[in-house]
Amino acid sequence: MTRTLIRYLPLLLLALVWEMAARFEWVSNTALPPLTDVVRAWIELTLDGELLRNSASSLYRIAGGLGLAIVIGTVLGIGMAWWKPVNVLLAPIVEVFYPVPKSALIPVTVIWLGFGDGSKILLIFLGCMVPVTIGAFNGARASEQVMVWSARSMGASKLRVLWDVVMPGAMPELLNGIRTALALSFILLVSSELIVAQKGFGYLIGSLGAGGSYDAMYAVVLTVAFLGFAADRAYLEIVRRTLAWRSVA
Amino acid sequence: MQGPAQIVVDQVSHLYRPPRGREVLALDAVSLEVRQSEFIALLGPSGCGKSTLLYLIGGFLPVEKGEIRVDGKPVGGPGPDRGIVFQHFALFPWKTVRGNVLYGLERQGMAKAEREKRAMEYIELVGLHGFEDSYPSQLSGGMKQRAAIARTLAFDPKILLMDEPFGALDAQTRGLMQMELLRIWQRTPKTVIFVTHDVQEAVLLSDRVAVMTARPGRIKTIVDTKFDKNDPDIFKNKTFVEKVDEVWNLVKDEAIKAQGKRSA
Amino acid sequence: MSIDTRTPRDGVPEMLGRLAWQLAWGFARIFSIVALLAAWEILARTGTFTPFQLPALSAVLERIWSDAVSGDLAINAGLTLYRALTGFAICAVLGIAIGMAMSRNVVANWFFDPIVSVGFPMPKIAFLPVVILWLGVYDTAKITMIVVDAIFPVIAATVIAIQGVERELIWSARNMGASKRELLHQVILPAASPQIMTGLQVSLPLCLIVAVVAEMLMGGYGLGGAMITAAQFANSTSVFAGIVEIAVIGYVLIKIMVLIRRRLLIWHPEASAPATA
Repeated sequence: MTRTLIRYLPLLLLALVWEMAARFEWVSNTALPPLTDVVRAWIELTLDGELLRNSASSLYRIAGGLGLAIVIGTVLGIGMAWWKPVNVLLAPIVEVFYPVPKSALIPVTVIWLGFGDGSKILLIFLGCMVPVTIGAFNGARASEQVMVWSARSMGASKLRVLWDVVMPGAMPELLNGIRTALALSFILLVSSELIVAQKGFGYLIGSLGAGGSYDAMYAVVLTVAFLGFAADRAYLEIVRRTLAWRSVA
Repeated sequence: MQGPAQIVVDQVSHLYRPPRGREVLALDAVSLEVRQSEFIALLGPSGCGKSTLLYLIGGFLPVEKGEIRVDGKPVGGPGPDRGIVFQHFALFPWKTVRGNVLYGLERQGMAKAEREKRAMEYIELVGLHGFEDSYPSQLSGGMKQRAAIARTLAFDPKILLMDEPFGALDAQTRGLMQMELLRIWQRTPKTVIFVTHDVQEAVLLSDRVAVMTARPGRIKTIVDTKFDKNDPDIFKNKTFVEKVDEVWNLVKDEAIKAQGKRSA
Repeated sequence: MSIDTRTPRDGVPEMLGRLAWQLAWGFARIFSIVALLAAWEILARTGTFTPFQLPALSAVLERIWSDAVSGDLAINAGLTLYRALTGFAICAVLGIAIGMAMSRNVVANWFFDPIVSVGFPMPKIAFLPVVILWLGVYDTAKITMIVVDAIFPVIAATVIAIQGVERELIWSARNMGASKRELLHQVILPAASPQIMTGLQVSLPLCLIVAVVAEMLMGGYGLGGAMITAAQFANSTSVFAGIVEIAVIGYVLIKIMVLIRRRLLIWHPEASAPATA
């Protein structure tokens, strides 16, 4: 308890400095409303349902885009590692697509699918597919020859080996790729919602800022930041359990 | 031990194709016959193709020139009649010891109750009782290799292919495991092909030692090393010492040749 | 590796065969790219998609050409690159400095550790409106946003890299009489450099992503701003041109990083790794 306190004390200190800087008007309250005002604004936003409504639509977009990216990216990555023709066809496309800063796709997804959920889901899907595919590919490619041979000599068919040996062997790298994708999904979500949207976190931040209610804007910004952080921690916990066999020693 | 040959290697050559660079002739017209329940060691300097020969018999690499027959049938791929134990164990790290041993039995379609019973039998046979729910990452090298041996013996292959199985173990563990293997082999006699570059190990364990030449690998001679191995002081036993000496002299020239080629 | 003169097949026909095989392989590698580009052009020309949804590849290339001739491309790409690379340089210097301070100083570690472990996984781009509020919409704000977003991988990689330097290496350097300073400059930093380099390779693409988003939101010159303006005027040829331009820049920057990595880490067994990061 004390240890956790000491560990996170710097964050508390920062919060304190924030509150004091705003309260004693060392900086303008427009630029930095007091933290306590931000908390009050957060409670109001939550009570009138505004925050929940926009959270729901943002989380729906992340779930859709990321879910699709995980399923399709895993299949593509493992396919590329296991069947040479798939690799020859897809590897160059992945290599060309990989360095594209995914945020550049925001206007195109809007041109294709409009201002609603569709364009955000497509953007998150396209952006997140790359790290998932690469993770699955690297993991599956590294599957040890001797392990595949062992399974074969115990009577496993080739397809069976793919499921029993290659998949679990690819898991650590794949899960790592998904973690990158998770972080990227939040970045792409917020970016696209800030630029063009009619609901969602980004939209809420933008409209509150435009309306001059900066304490409420700060409240939403901190909410998104916290959700991204919490999602990462929850995901790490899931990974820790899935890969228990690696670190039980 | 007489009887018809169970494994026939007939004029097999093998080209190794590295991803870049020139092809290398790894095996050159190798012929070998192994009888049922015989323990034969393939001995040679590193790079002589002895593991390649083992993988060909296992069906992991395609036989491109010559023929390999097991029980009269040409080898066309891996199969549960030939179990294999690798130097680096090749245990599935995401399965417990029991899960690893069960895997082969599941693939054979054995009923659940029977395979559970059988898995425990073999885990006990190799002395891993109490560790059946451990993951490989929790085991020492010697224990991992015991688990790998149990996994392979459990699905009862007629032939056991062993690829330098004790090569990654420390000297003490290695000695213990050799004794253990002899004990297990005497209880469940199988045909064993054992790849090693350790002369003492080859003489100690096998009925015959096939000495291979430096690359390209050929069978240089086959030395009969069948004598009573139950002497507790076997390393001082006169027959043993003489046999080791004989085999060592045969393999020494090849080891020097292999060294020279590598530094050239 | 060993060279074996006994290669049994080495006649002229075999060599020709190998050459043909390599050519076929090389063609197969670009086949899918060519097919994709061809499909783009055909789908656009046959009217499967409207020019608004998908302008023809040739039209997009023409637009890039005219932008290049008029000088717009140089201005926009130059500004985006300037922002991204300035941000990246600050990330590199500041990130490595903070990382080193954290691994050598207890107080620095106590202060920065919670900030890094909480800040790293946050979507910091959400702070963009706050940054605008503080710093306006010009370069200072854009570069600040880039640094806030892309510095964390560098700090984390530096800390992990320095922690991972082998004890034996440090001990033997001490044994040979290295002072604390020499130890840091001649042993710890070089030994940690592969992982620090990996951190930088993660950071650079982030700089570009954030630069583009910041430009899109704040407007003005720059590839991101130009794309958003084009989108507002339903000028999708320019939007696609922008994507191609940014993609090329991203590709070139990533390849340059790989080259630098190879050059700097020539002693490292995985000099080229990570191949795709």
